[in-house]
Amino acid sequence: MLRSTSGPRRVVLVLSALLLSIFLVLPKQSRSLLQHLGQPFAQIVAFPLGALSALDRSVREVWSGYIALRHVREENRRLRQEIELLRGQNGELREIATATQRLGALLEFKEGAASETIAAQVVGRDTTSWYRALVLNKGGRDGIRPEMGVMTQVGVVGRVVKVNSSTSVVLLVTDPNNAVTGLIQRTRDEGIVEGTAQGLARMKYIPLLSAVRIGDTVVTSGLTGGFPKGLVIGSVRSIDKGEGDLFQSAEITPEVDVSKLEEVLVISAPRPLEEPAAAAGSLVPKQPQRRER
Amino acid sequence: MKQALYAGLLLGLVPIQTTVLDHVSISGIRPDLCLIAACLVGFFAGERDGMVLGFALGFVQDLFSAGELWLNLVTKGLIGFLAGLVGRLLANATPAAMLATLLGLSVVSGTIFLMAVRVGESLADLFYVVRAVLLPQALFDAAVGTGAYWLIARHGRTQDATQEGPTPFW
Repeated sequence: MLRSTSGPRRVVLVLSALLLSIFLVLPKQSRSLLQHLGQPFAQIVAFPLGALSALDRSVREVWSGYIALRHVREENRRLRQEIELLRGQNGELREIATATQRLGALLEFKEGAASETIAAQVVGRDTTSWYRALVLNKGGRDGIRPEMGVMTQVGVVGRVVKVNSSTSVVLLVTDPNNAVTGLIQRTRDEGIVEGTAQGLARMKYIPLLSAVRIGDTVVTSGLTGGFPKGLVIGSVRSIDKGEGDLFQSAEITPEVDVSKLEEVLVISAPRPLEEPAAAAGSLVPKQPQRRER
Repeated sequence: MKQALYAGLLLGLVPIQTTVLDHVSISGIRPDLCLIAACLVGFFAGERDGMVLGFALGFVQDLFSAGELWLNLVTKGLIGFLAGLVGRLLANATPAAMLATLLGLSVVSGTIFLMAVRVGESLADLFYVVRAVLLPQALFDAAVGTGAYWLIARHGRTQDATQEGPTPFW
């Protein structure tokens, strides 16, 4: 039996047609309108999101604690042996550390100001399976803005694409919708690093004469906003050089395992690129300005 | 009661989708709870409820997704509406019919995403995404949605046996 809902149905249909036409005709305005409308909703949903994330984390910790206990006796015996070995190595390392400190101070002299970062916790993944993205527990009120770069101590993670007041969404470097300018560390050839459908990354527009090799490290070039120069993106896994192509491309294995991220650093102010002459002319070694909030 | 249920779905589904569901993902694919909810509400409560709840769920989902702010809003609204239409046509839906309906609607949703999202450069990338995301997602949605439908229908039958008159699914 059909329900007689022609009146409300007509209203709903007209409304949805109106909505759709607004989206199609005024995409930019509708996006900003939705963004404004969404702020209070995002703030409300952030509460259960935070609570669930905390619950999820504690359950994971309890579980991993249980697993750890099962192997603790065997591990304890092995660790005691390792301690003896490490005590011996420790003395040697202290000597090396002293030398490294001296060399580090010299290196610091050459280095410009380090980037300012905001530490954030990963509270979730993208709400769809179509994007490779993370949800962070910090947002606009913590100083996070769209297009900021996100990294860990290992390397590049992605960039911020959406900011709510207390959360933000980071598009990972492995997503095909993401692009970062990269540099092959050894050959100094530049290109654009994009994500691939398979969850890796691909560096495009590498000059045809470049001597790029498998295993080469790819770092950020610092040409686009969000990332300072020299952050590790990944290493070359394979190279494609088609006949008649103007450029080569290389498949890259990202340095950061994005499936296991729990904490990240959002780069609020990338280190400005310094002129080599200015850096060399300075007599006072600069202190690193890395700041975590 | 209905409003409370809808509010609960609005507040609870997206946080569950972003946090807990990661543990049940298979090769990075998780069931789309918002799509399933829009479908079931459309199916049981009509196309208007399905579409309005779909719009709302899609809107909240878009706030925590890397995609454009309209993509889930439009898709989930459309799916809720279509589910309502299918629900009107099927007087006595069996779980098998529900499985087919959910599978079809999830494929429709996936096709919209496929057109809106950049999946790669080559045709091979497109086929890879259809094989690795669209179809597994549709199967996952259909399986979870049919399970939820079966539970709701069973709950309805139990209530029917103890009470007089038709029982709403909530």
